[in-house]
Amino acid sequence: MGFLKRCHRRRVPWNAAVSLRTDFSVLLVCCGLLFSAGHVDAGDGLAKVKQRGTLIWGADQEGGGPFIYPADDDPNRLVGFEVELAQLLAESLGVRSQFQQGQWDKLPDLMSRGDLDIVLNGYEWTPVRAERYGVSIPYYIYELQLLGRKDDPTFNSWNDLFEPPGGRKKRIAVLGGAAAEDYLRKHLGDRVEIALFEGVSDAMRGAELNVDGIDGNLQDLPIWTFYEPGFPKLKAIGDPVGRGFYVVLTRKDDTELLQAINTAIFEALQDGRLRRILSRYRIWNETQSLRGLETNLQGSFIGLPHARSEEPGETEEVDEETYVPVRGFGVIWQRGGLLAKAAGMTVLLAVTAMPLAILIGLLMALLRLYGPALARSLATIYVELIRGTPLVLQLYVLFFLLPEIGLKVNAFWAAVAGLALNYSAYEAEIYRAGLQAIPRGQMEAAQALGFSQWLALRRIIVPQATRLVIPPVTNDFIALFKDTAVCSVITVVELSKEYYIQARSTGAIVELGLLTALLYLAMSYPLSLLAGRLEKRLMTERRT
Amino acid sequence: MIQLQNIVKSYGPHLILQGVSMQVKKGEVCVLLGPSGGGKSTLLRTINGLETFESGEIRVGEIVLPPTGAAGRESALTQIRQRVGMVFQQFHLFPHRTVIQNVMEAPVHVLRRPVEEVRTQAMALLERVGLGHKQDVYPGSLSGGQQQRVAIARTLAMNPQAILFDEPTSALDPRMTAEVTAVMSDLARDGQTMIVVTHGLGFARAVGHTVHLLHAGTIAESGTPGEIFENPQTDVTRAFLSDLHKA
Repeated sequence: MGFLKRCHRRRVPWNAAVSLRTDFSVLLVCCGLLFSAGHVDAGDGLAKVKQRGTLIWGADQEGGGPFIYPADDDPNRLVGFEVELAQLLAESLGVRSQFQQGQWDKLPDLMSRGDLDIVLNGYEWTPVRAERYGVSIPYYIYELQLLGRKDDPTFNSWNDLFEPPGGRKKRIAVLGGAAAEDYLRKHLGDRVEIALFEGVSDAMRGAELNVDGIDGNLQDLPIWTFYEPGFPKLKAIGDPVGRGFYVVLTRKDDTELLQAINTAIFEALQDGRLRRILSRYRIWNETQSLRGLETNLQGSFIGLPHARSEEPGETEEVDEETYVPVRGFGVIWQRGGLLAKAAGMTVLLAVTAMPLAILIGLLMALLRLYGPALARSLATIYVELIRGTPLVLQLYVLFFLLPEIGLKVNAFWAAVAGLALNYSAYEAEIYRAGLQAIPRGQMEAAQALGFSQWLALRRIIVPQATRLVIPPVTNDFIALFKDTAVCSVITVVELSKEYYIQARSTGAIVELGLLTALLYLAMSYPLSLLAGRLEKRLMTERRT
Repeated sequence: MIQLQNIVKSYGPHLILQGVSMQVKKGEVCVLLGPSGGGKSTLLRTINGLETFESGEIRVGEIVLPPTGAAGRESALTQIRQRVGMVFQQFHLFPHRTVIQNVMEAPVHVLRRPVEEVRTQAMALLERVGLGHKQDVYPGSLSGGQQQRVAIARTLAMNPQAILFDEPTSALDPRMTAEVTAVMSDLARDGQTMIVVTHGLGFARAVGHTVHLLHAGTIAESGTPGEIFENPQTDVTRAFLSDLHKA
C-alpha cells in the first residue's frame, strides 16, 4: 500500500538483521561483533503450514481499504482484496487462512520472529526487500496518482509542481517513507515541500482541507480509486506515475513456501480469479495485464528491468539500487546529524508546550479551589476530560477538526497546543495539591493585612505552592520530552520518528537506538540537575 | 472606636456567640478571658471578617460591618482590614520572604506606598521589637518569640488604629512569652488600641484596662482587672479563676 519505508538506499545483510534481534542482549555487551550470527529458521515454513492447517498472514487493518478493512455491516468481519487473496492462497495450499494483526511497519519483524508465515499487506518490491526476504511475483501492479483540490486553479498538472504558478512551492502530503515520498524527492528534489503523514486517508484529508498549507497528495492509485467517493473535493492530476509491485513476503529461507505462493498467484492470474477479486474492489486496470514473472532460482521475484523507464523525466538507468552498506557505529556519523536535528524539534516542542501547560494548569487549579461555583465545575470537567482521553486523540482532533470549523493550525502549533492542553490537566492537579498544602493561616494572615484574595494568591500562596511543586512538575517536564514522540501522528518529525525512519532504512537498530537514548538523556538529565539546584536554592529559605 | 452590637454566630445547631455586645475606646487595652470554647477567639475574628456572623453589627470608627451576606460587607471588610491589624497564635509569617520583606509586603503591595519609605519604617519597627539585626534572614530560622515580634512589626507597618491579638503567647515558652509581652506592654504605653485574647492573667492584670470574661457565647462579666480579679461578681468568673489557680 505504499507504506514502504525508505529502505532501498542502504542494505543490511539478512544475517545481521536476524542477529540484531536474536542476540540482542549479547549485542548490548559487545555491540557490532556479532554480525555473522546464523539463521534462526530452518526453512520448513511450508511443512509447518500444512501440519498446522493454517496459513498465518500478517497485515495492518489500520491501512484500510481496499487492502484490508472492517466490513461496513459487521466490523468484526474483515474484507479487502488482500483478505480474499489470502483465502485464495491458503486454499491453494490446502489450508485455511488465519489473519494476524500487526503494526504495518513491524510486520516483517513479526514474521522474522516466527509469528507470521507471510506478510501480505501492500509491501512494495524493492531490492532491499528482495535481499532480506523471499518476495513473491507481484499480485498487484500499482501506480501513483497525483491529487489536488478541485477549487485550486493553480494546480492542474505535474508541471505546476515543477514550475509553481506564482513561484510559491506546492506542499504535497505523502506517507512517511512511502514510495510516493521517494518519487517526489527523486524527481522534484526541493522544488516541492513534503509533509509526512502516517495514514493514507489522513494524507488525502490533509490535502482536501488544506491543513497546514497542504496543496496535494501523491497517492497510490488503488487507494485513490477506492477512496475517491469519500473525497469529493479532490481531483486526479495527470496520468499515474511511478509503477511498482505489491509482493508477498516470506522468510528468506522459506523457498518451498515462496514457490507455492508463486504457483498460486500464477494460477489465479491465468484462470481469472485474481482479476475477479481486483475487479470487486474496482482496482483492476489494464496495467495488471503486464505481468512481471521473472524469478531467481529460489523463486524470488527479481523485478522488471524496464518497469521504471516509463516515469516522466526518467532518461537513465535507475540508480536507487546502488547500495551503501552501513555497518557498526559508522552509521552514527552518517545519520547522527539527522537525529540531532530531530532532537532539536523535540526540545522545541517540549520547552514551548511546558510553560503553557503550567500556566493553564495553575489557572485551572486556582479556579477549582477559589473560583465561583460555575468556574469550579467547568475547570473540573476540563481536567477530567483532558486527563481521561489519550494525547494522540487530542492531537488528532486538534489537527483535523479545527480546519473543519475554519481554524487553520499548522502542524507545529497543533502539536504544541495538544501537548500543552494534555499536560495542563496534570499540572492542574499537581498545583491543586500544592495550593492545598499551604496552611490556611497564610491566607488569613494576608487577608488580615488587607490583601485581596487575588493579591494574596499572587504574592503569598502561589509562590509558596510553586516551591512545593517543583519536583513533580520537573518529573512531568521530563515525561513531556518523551511524549513529544506522539506528535508524529500529525506529521511532526521529532527524535523518535526520525529514529524509526533511520533505524529501519539502515537496520542499525542498536547503534542508532543507543544514540537516540543518549540524546533523550542529554535533554532530561540537565533538567533534573537544574530542578535540583532550583529546589535547593528555594528550600534554603527554610533554614538560613 | 470599636463597637460590637448583639453579635450572633452559630455552627449548625450550636450557638457560638449569643448576642455579644461590647465597646473598645481609643487607646484602650481590652482583654478577653474565659475558658476554652467560650467564644473569645471567634468573637475577635468576627471583627476583621475571618469569621462570619449571622446578625448584629460591628462598627470600627465610622465603618459599619454588616452580617454575612448583607450588602456592603466586602467593601467594609477591605477598609477594616487596612485599619485593624491582627497577630496570630501561630505567627503565620510568610516563609518565602525575609524578615524585612514580611514587614514591607502589605504597605508596598496593599497600600502601594513607596518602597524606600516603607523600608525605613520597617527597619525602625524591627529595631523597636529588637530584631533589627535579623532583617535579612528567613522566618524559618527564628525562634517562636522572635517570629511573633516580627509578626507584631508586620502588623504595625500598616499603622493600624487597633490590633487584634489572638492568644499571641500561647505557643511560646515563658522566656519567649516575656519577650513578646514586653513588646505589647510597650505598645500599650504608647496608647495603641488593642484587643487581646489570652490565658495570661499576668498580662491582663499588668497591662489591661478592661477585662471581659466570655463563657458559652456570652459575656459573663466585665470590669477593670482589679474588679474582675479581686472581686469577681459571678459564679462563672469565680470558677474560671479558681481553675486557673489550681492549674
